[in-house]
This record gives sequence, C-alpha cells and structure tokens, in this order.
Amino acid sequence: MADEVVLEARGLVKDYRRDRAVDGISLVVHAGERVALLGPNGAGKTTTLLMILGVVSPDEGAVSICGYDLAHQRSRAAECVGFAAGYLPLTERMRVREYLRLYGQIYGIADPNPLIDEGLDRFRIGDLAGAMGTELSSGQRTLIGIVRATLHRPRLLVLDEPTASLDPDVAQRVRAGLLDLCDRDGTALLMTSHDMSDVVQVCERVVFLSHGHIVADGTPETIASDYGHGDLKGVFLHLAGAHEPTGSQQSDHA
Amino acid sequence: MSRTTAKPEPTTPNPTTTRGKSWLRIRAIARRHAYVLVRSPHRLFDVSLWPLVDVLLFGSLAAFVGTNGATPAAKASGYLLAGIVLWHVIYQSQIAMSTGLLEETWTRNLLNLMVTPLREIEYLAGVAMFGMVKLFIGVGVMVIGALAFFSFHTWSLGYGLIPIVIVLLVVGWAISLFVMGLVLRFGTGAEALAWGVMFVLLPLSGVFYPTDALPTILQPIALALPTTHAFTALRSLVDGNGTDWGQIAIAAVGSIVMLGLAMWYLVTMLRAFRKRGYITRYT
Repeated sequence: MADEVVLEARGLVKDYRRDRAVDGISLVVHAGERVALLGPNGAGKTTTLLMILGVVSPDEGAVSICGYDLAHQRSRAAECVGFAAGYLPLTERMRVREYLRLYGQIYGIADPNPLIDEGLDRFRIGDLAGAMGTELSSGQRTLIGIVRATLHRPRLLVLDEPTASLDPDVAQRVRAGLLDLCDRDGTALLMTSHDMSDVVQVCERVVFLSHGHIVADGTPETIASDYGHGDLKGVFLHLAGAHEPTGSQQSDHA
Repeated sequence: MSRTTAKPEPTTPNPTTTRGKSWLRIRAIARRHAYVLVRSPHRLFDVSLWPLVDVLLFGSLAAFVGTNGATPAAKASGYLLAGIVLWHVIYQSQIAMSTGLLEETWTRNLLNLMVTPLREIEYLAGVAMFGMVKLFIGVGVMVIGALAFFSFHTWSLGYGLIPIVIVLLVVGWAISLFVMGLVLRFGTGAEALAWGVMFVLLPLSGVFYPTDALPTILQPIALALPTTHAFTALRSLVDGNGTDWGQIAIAAVGSIVMLGLAMWYLVTMLRAFRKRGYITRYT
C-alpha cells in the first residue's frame, strides 16, 4: 500500500494577472505519507492546494488523484479526497449531525450516522452532535470540519492551516487524531501550516515553496540540516527573508 | 521505488451505485436548502406573504377595473389575476434556484461544496427539486388567495394551463442559470440581477396585456420572448377561446432554446471561475 500513488501533480503552473503564483510544481504523494507544504505568504501553497482539489484549473500541468485525471474525472477523483481548512465556516442553519450527514451523503454514504459517531469520538467531541454550527467556537468548527473531511475515509486528506486559532490542547487533539487516521486507514496527508510544531509532530516529509517553486523536499531533519539551521523554523525564516511578495501577488488564501 | 498507479475504487465506506450516489447528493442538496427555509422564518415571506400581497394588489386592481362591467374591462380583470398567478411560476422557480447559489456565496460555503464529488448538474437538480416545493407553496397561496378574496378559480381555465405552466417553469430555470453564471463571473455584486431581471421581463412579456399595448419599438423584443407567447396562450384561455397550441409551441421551442443558451453560459462562466481562481472571493 505504501507504494500506491494517491496524488500526482505534474508541472503545475498558474498565473494570476501579471504574476505567476505557481511555477512548475510537481509533487507525488504516496498512500499513508504525511506531507507538509510550507512557505511564506504568497509562496503558492494555497493555489497549489486549490489546483490539487480541482477548484482552480492550472494553466499548465495536470493532477491525478488515485489514478483519476482531475480534469476529466473530477467527481471520481474528489471521492478519494477530503479537505478542511481552519478558515472555512460550517454550513449555516444546521446542527452538527445534520451538517455531517449532508456531507456524508454528498460523498455517497447512504447511512453516515455510524461514521459520524466514530469521527466525533476520534476527536472527543461527541457532545457537539446536537449543537447548531453558530454555537461553536472557531476551534470546535475546525474539528467538525476535519470530521466532515474524513467521514468517507479519503485516500488523501488535504488540510489548509488545520490548527490555526486552536488552543494548544485542542491542536494536540487534532494532531493525535490525524496520526491515528493516517496509521489506521493508510490515509495520505497533505497539509499547510505556519505552526512548525504541527509539522514536526505530524509530518514525515516537508515540501518548501518559494515564489511558486519547490525549493526543498525531504524530511524535516534533512531540510533543517541542508539549510544550516537547527530546526524548520530557522529554514522558514531564512526563506521568508528571501521572499518579498509584490503588492499585486495573491494573498495567503490565493 | 516501484509505484502502482492502478485506479483503486474510491473507498466509500457504504458502497453505493453511481446512480444511487447521484440521487443521494441531489436529495442532500434539497434538504440543505429546506433547512435554510425552515430555520429562517423571514424567508417564508417569499412563498407566503409576497404572493398574497401580489394577489391582493392585482386582484383589487382587477376588481376595480371590472366594476364598469364592459366586456373589455371584464377581460382585463381576468388577465390581471391569471397573469399574476402564472407570473409567480417564473418568479418562484427563478428566485428559488438563484438564491440557492447565492446562499452558498453569502455563507462562504462554495468551497466546501466544490471540493466534494458533487457534480454541477446534481447541485442544480437538488436546488431545482427544493425550488419546486417553494413553487407549489407560493403559487398555491396565490391560487387559494385568488379564490378566497376574488372568487377567481384558476383551475377553471382548464388543462391548457399545464403546458403554459411547464413553459414558464423552464423559462424560470433558464433565467436562474443565467443569473448564476453572472454571479460566478462578477461576484455577489451581480446578485441584484436575480431580482432585477424579472422586472425587465414582466412588462415585455405582456403578462397583463397583449403586447400590442407596448410601444412599437419594443414589440419585436417582446415577440422574441417565449414568455410573451405563453401569456398570449393564457389570455386565450381567459377569453374562453381554448388552448392556443400554436402559441404554446412557439413558447416551448423558445424556452428550450433559452434553457440551452443559459446552460452554455453557466458552463462557460464556471470554466472562467475555475480558470481565474474566483473561489478566493468566497474563502
């Protein structure tokens, strides 16, 4: 299973007006692999994720997920992927269980209730099942978003800033839950984060982006060593110093 | 490292057939919008209060016009009441679908949906399915109101109403697809068109009067609209002249052409939406 390719992105290029947000990124992720996509604001992380998710179409290059070409088999490919982001809201006017049931059925699960219970238990938030989305804190909403993204046991879980705005104890619960999920189901993980403790604890591979290029790809220890720093934070600051986004470059969510 | 790229079947825990999954998704979307309506009581105004206000307004106008007892005046009162009831078929079907997409943009839910296996056609079918519920409620309120307040029995016009209603329903869907395309391309600033476009169509379609009454310069535009022919067929029923299949056929062909063009426009705008990364407007 470890050799199974779940994500293959080849030569992705994306221009926004006069700026090139992503410039020839190629990335292969295998089943069970936990990969962090890092880089300063405007490096092209979120644009890369959105192309991998099929929400933004690349100007050049192609993406296949579990062997399904995203350009032509988007729906089949999307069945293999789960996505959550700290900045995404829950669907309004729904209780948590109703919301999870909605997305379970969108992923083709006829009776999602047992999986909803399992997912809520994994992150120890079973008591939130009856709450309205508007009653939740931002941390609780993030956890529910992750439960939603993993209901259908995706082969690839994509997370954008999963622990942003979370208390340290909740962030730790998220990390533990993700590790459990990846170990048990062989789910591959591709995540962005500005929290280096997320990366060190959860990810075994780090891909650094700068100016839309991959500038480093390896284990956290190897990369830190290659750049002559003791840890990833030092590498991050080193690359951020070399990266000065122009005023017209896309924001962090672009 | 050797790699395999053989396509594994998606590991959905409860395997369902492709058709079964589509039906599940369509129902899920319809139910999502049902929650929006039920849990936002002010939205019930669209399907209860406004139809009632419209039937009272135009019914009262019809009653006033009809008091002079002359045959043209009596006809005009029938045109007004039948016209407003059937106008709401377009209005309700259009608004239900357009606000379905707008709801996703207002609540920043678009990205949540776009990363799922939900196909565009399944989303539209789900919104249209729930839109039919709103349509039945809204038009039902008008039919009952017209009967209760003005003794106007809509169904006394006969089965000829059915094809007219179907044509108007298709036109309502076509307009909503066009509005959705505009919203995807130009953002929520284009949402005013969801309502505004109806007020352009209303006078041009001769909902309450024959299009001969329009200024001469506008009459060719009116004749190009399928709604004009549908409402001409409606007036034939009100006049007691039976079903005007000729006008209905023109309206049906026109509505199908309109639907095809609207679908093409929506698909083109969706492609531009993905190409230009407009999703960042809603994250």
